[in-house]
Amino acid sequence: MGYPHKPHAKETVVLSKHFGDADARTYKGWVKRGGYEMLAQALTMEPARVIDIVKESGLRGRGGAGFPTGLKWSFMPKEKKKPHYLCVNADESEPGTFKDREIMRWTPHALLEGTAIAAHAIQAEVVYIYIRGEFTEPWAVMQRALAEATAAGVFGAIKLHLHRGAGAYICGEETALMNSIEGKRGNPRIKPPFPAAAGVFGMPTTINNVETLAAVPLILKKGAAWYKGLSLASPKSTGTKLFSVCGHVQKPGNYEVTMGFPLKDLLYDLCGGIPPGRTLKACIPGGSSVPILNREETESCLLDYEGVVEKGSMLGSGGVIVFDDSTDMVYQIMRLARFYAHESCAQCTQCREGTAWTTKILERILAGQGKTADLDLLLDLAENMTGKTICVLSDSCAAPVVSGIKKFKKEFEDYIAGRRKPVMVA
Amino acid sequence: MPDELVTLTIDGVPVSVPKGTLVIEAAKQAGVLVPHYCYHPGLPVAGLCRMCLVDIEKAPKLQIACATQVAEGMVVRTQSPQAKSGRMGVLELLLINHPLDCPICDQAGECELQDFTFQEGRPATRYSPDYAKRFNPVEDFGPDVLYVPNRCILCTRCVRFMEDVAKEPVLNVSERGDRAYIGIHSEGRLDHPWAGNVVDLCPVGSLLSKDFLHKARAWELDKAASICTGCSQGCNVTLDTRENVVVRVRPRPNLEVNRYFICDHGRMNYRWMNRGDRIEAPLVRRGGGSELHATDWDEAFDVVASRLRGAGGKAVALVSPKASTEALYFARELFRGLEWSGAFQVVMGEEAPLAGVPNLALRAERAPNGRGAELLGYSRDYAAAVAAAETASVVLVLDEPDIAVRTAGALIYVGTVLPERARDAQAVLPIANVAEEEGTFVNRDGRVQRYFQAKSAPGMARPAWWVFSELVATLGGGGGGGGGGGGHVGTAAEAFDRLAASVEAFRGLSYPQLGFAGAAAPAVAVPA
Amino acid sequence: MSVSTHPTPQPGTEEYSPVFAGKTLEQLSEILTRYPTKQAALLPALWLVQQARGWISDRNMAEVGEVLGLTAAYVKGVVTFYTMYHQHPVGRHFVQVCTTSPCNICGAEAVVKAFLDATGAKELGATSPDGKWTVIEVECLGACGFATPVLVNDDFLESVTPDKVPDLVKRYK
Repeated sequence: MGYPHKPHAKETVVLSKHFGDADARTYKGWVKRGGYEMLAQALTMEPARVIDIVKESGLRGRGGAGFPTGLKWSFMPKEKKKPHYLCVNADESEPGTFKDREIMRWTPHALLEGTAIAAHAIQAEVVYIYIRGEFTEPWAVMQRALAEATAAGVFGAIKLHLHRGAGAYICGEETALMNSIEGKRGNPRIKPPFPAAAGVFGMPTTINNVETLAAVPLILKKGAAWYKGLSLASPKSTGTKLFSVCGHVQKPGNYEVTMGFPLKDLLYDLCGGIPPGRTLKACIPGGSSVPILNREETESCLLDYEGVVEKGSMLGSGGVIVFDDSTDMVYQIMRLARFYAHESCAQCTQCREGTAWTTKILERILAGQGKTADLDLLLDLAENMTGKTICVLSDSCAAPVVSGIKKFKKEFEDYIAGRRKPVMVA
Repeated sequence: MPDELVTLTIDGVPVSVPKGTLVIEAAKQAGVLVPHYCYHPGLPVAGLCRMCLVDIEKAPKLQIACATQVAEGMVVRTQSPQAKSGRMGVLELLLINHPLDCPICDQAGECELQDFTFQEGRPATRYSPDYAKRFNPVEDFGPDVLYVPNRCILCTRCVRFMEDVAKEPVLNVSERGDRAYIGIHSEGRLDHPWAGNVVDLCPVGSLLSKDFLHKARAWELDKAASICTGCSQGCNVTLDTRENVVVRVRPRPNLEVNRYFICDHGRMNYRWMNRGDRIEAPLVRRGGGSELHATDWDEAFDVVASRLRGAGGKAVALVSPKASTEALYFARELFRGLEWSGAFQVVMGEEAPLAGVPNLALRAERAPNGRGAELLGYSRDYAAAVAAAETASVVLVLDEPDIAVRTAGALIYVGTVLPERARDAQAVLPIANVAEEEGTFVNRDGRVQRYFQAKSAPGMARPAWWVFSELVATLGGGGGGGGGGGGHVGTAAEAFDRLAASVEAFRGLSYPQLGFAGAAAPAVAVPA
Repeated sequence: MSVSTHPTPQPGTEEYSPVFAGKTLEQLSEILTRYPTKQAALLPALWLVQQARGWISDRNMAEVGEVLGLTAAYVKGVVTFYTMYHQHPVGRHFVQVCTTSPCNICGAEAVVKAFLDATGAKELGATSPDGKWTVIEVECLGACGFATPVLVNDDFLESVTPDKVPDLVKRYK
């Protein structure tokens, strides 16, 4: 549901059914609602069978990459020769995204149950749930829930541990997350080797997002066909997705809709539209790391992996940031570049230096000291920062810059030509 | 079982390399140097500087050559427009925060940032002069290392060396993003016995040697391959000289001995090579005179030969384990026919291994040629030799300044400097030190390694092998058929050939064969 | 050139009171059982230090290193990577205000200003004269639909607007 708002008729309430229900996040309350039945069943099934069901359902990673989950699980060694690990990525730090925190603070047991089923499927005895350090409330709720469920013995031989992050967006990158668990700087690793071969502590590892795992118990309960059937447009995108809508809408919140749902309806129907007297200018559909859509593209976009790609962007984490016509696009793109510059781990030259230089150029343009050549320079820098680094933080900084200059060029030119009052950035 | 070979093409050149070889290494075989910073064959792969971007056919994106393994039929293009553009991008970004320090930076002339920028960087900067460059003050990391953060390109070679090779992670990367720098804990110092290697590893002038600071420009230096004399490990080094003065010692790669590293003891162990208080002319005692007179080599050889000719009884040689194998050989030949005993003493110190490399340490035995001396029959029982010297008819002291020896016989001193006690000698013959001659040492593992001349010897000093072989020739060739058969020895190579022909342990070896990497002396047992 | 030096360490004049003793040590021991390596307990150990002392000093880092078999320099490299660890003392109430774009377009910068004024901290990162407040801007806190989210110590406050700030500040002693 569009928590904190009441569920909208057009939502497909599956994961968000119990958002706002304080009783549902207790162990007893969850069991009352049918919780942990599927885990008990899964533990009696062959791991390969569980993987097949998830594969069949078409579930794809909800953290941003959209990689088919069942396929990812199948990369783990079938024959168990070394300890296997499952890591849960609860590092949610992508600007515009705030769905995993809701899952954790309202339905922690859904996450724990899905996690344990996944652990069983990949034959992992140990699970680390990596929660970002700033999520103090989800941390407290998860601690309590984990303690209760563990005491009730539902996890069998599987050990689940919470691991607290300490302020680093880059730790949401799967290999950086593993390094962080190992007690290192959160630097992404070069691949190969891939996590399923050598992950955390050098052992076969799978990393999954919170929202992905929360869907697993329901897939087992209602069947892969049910989940696969939840698809409005592209058959390659199935199930529901929590879209975190924020920015210039009347009713920001998390809305759960079926894959393929029109973005236009999400914004104007479910979210109550843009504030009065203003019009939609731009929208970032999948968290700040994906290209910006202009108004026309936004209003004709279908929300599934393929649909957003068709519009020249990506579904990503589903963090929908809405900008109305009062927005200074140049300023916001600068602010995003500054975000990436702050979060760069410093390994790759292009990212370490490029994100900071990009920010400086944008600050200068805002201060009224930009030159026309600066726009070409920004695009050239973005080219150098794309596809050439260990991870895609660098590409993520380039995306809003490239799409911003392409679609809102006049705003940049206004600053450069002195037609707009300069903004001194702190 | 031979390694499975993989054939691939790099810039149009086909190469065959063992499976598992990295593209950057395979490229060397094709004669292609892929620009790189963070990669180093002696360190674990990091893949973070992104400098070695190359175009690999069928790969959708540029790949880093340092982390890509060869594959059969792979086609690599280092000079494609995308690859060059990618690398140009990296260079531009490295330079935006890099100060224009070349005029005052020690690394100039041997700087990989200069080199690759000149080769494929932008001719002019696009970084506006309105932007400040990152600034941090210079830091003193410890005994010899200075860190200049402004010049650092964060390749992390130094961090990886200390962590993975020295096994003492005292350097870190601190902070994030463009605020990052190489950090050291406030209670820490970079005083590991092998820490100086970070200065060599640093591709730019960020980590500097205090010892070498502002001493010379890289292009003023002449270089000669040599062997470190600090201990018995036999690390391969390069002696850098400027106007006939040794100003720096750096490691020379040898995968069998020291890989790419030398310890700080050896690194700092060169000032003695430049000593000014050298014996510059042969000195002889004329008649029964009380003083030594400077003279020429002819008279010196006559005087010494006359002392040796017809001398019966015992001859004792007290030699320095720093002397070359050739010198030690001919010093022994000199006394063929006499009852001979020779010995050497070695200063001992604490061993300091480089934990991440097998069989590499600063060795307790602080001399380069103890093994060579042993193979030539010299004993370690120095005290016994000193005792025997008292009743010997001839005592030869070879470059051992610590002469605590009395003898009734003739004392011949052959050395680089003139100790007080040597004034009692019948003759004092000046020789070259390790930097001033060609020769070989045998390290503790029995590896025979050549060193080359780096600077000229002072005055009339000559290589010790020449002095002794001339004496042997003057005396009429010495005894025994295999011992070179008399005649003058013209070069160090010939000296070694005579030695190899006569001493079983060196059979089959020769200078061309030893080359720059040396070779194991045949049938020599490696000490435990 | 000006050079900052790392002098040879002198024995400390003050007694150092270890963090990992008594209950804290017990907590660490339990944490160590969760991982196959001691090093993996580093982030949890640093949290324990910060919870006990309010910040993490160089000496604390050395202690953590001793306990986990890591060098002090290594620990420091990790501490400086993660922005939530304080390397110097901060005000009793540490305020983190998100100003990344989604919150930025919903007035986050005004919220920051309101905090700086109401707390007397005046400047970002500075501690107020009475030692009670430090205010900083942070990146996305993951509550974009509840703009502007603010962390005051461990209290995650949602939907903060400038007009609510003075009362909020009063609530914290």
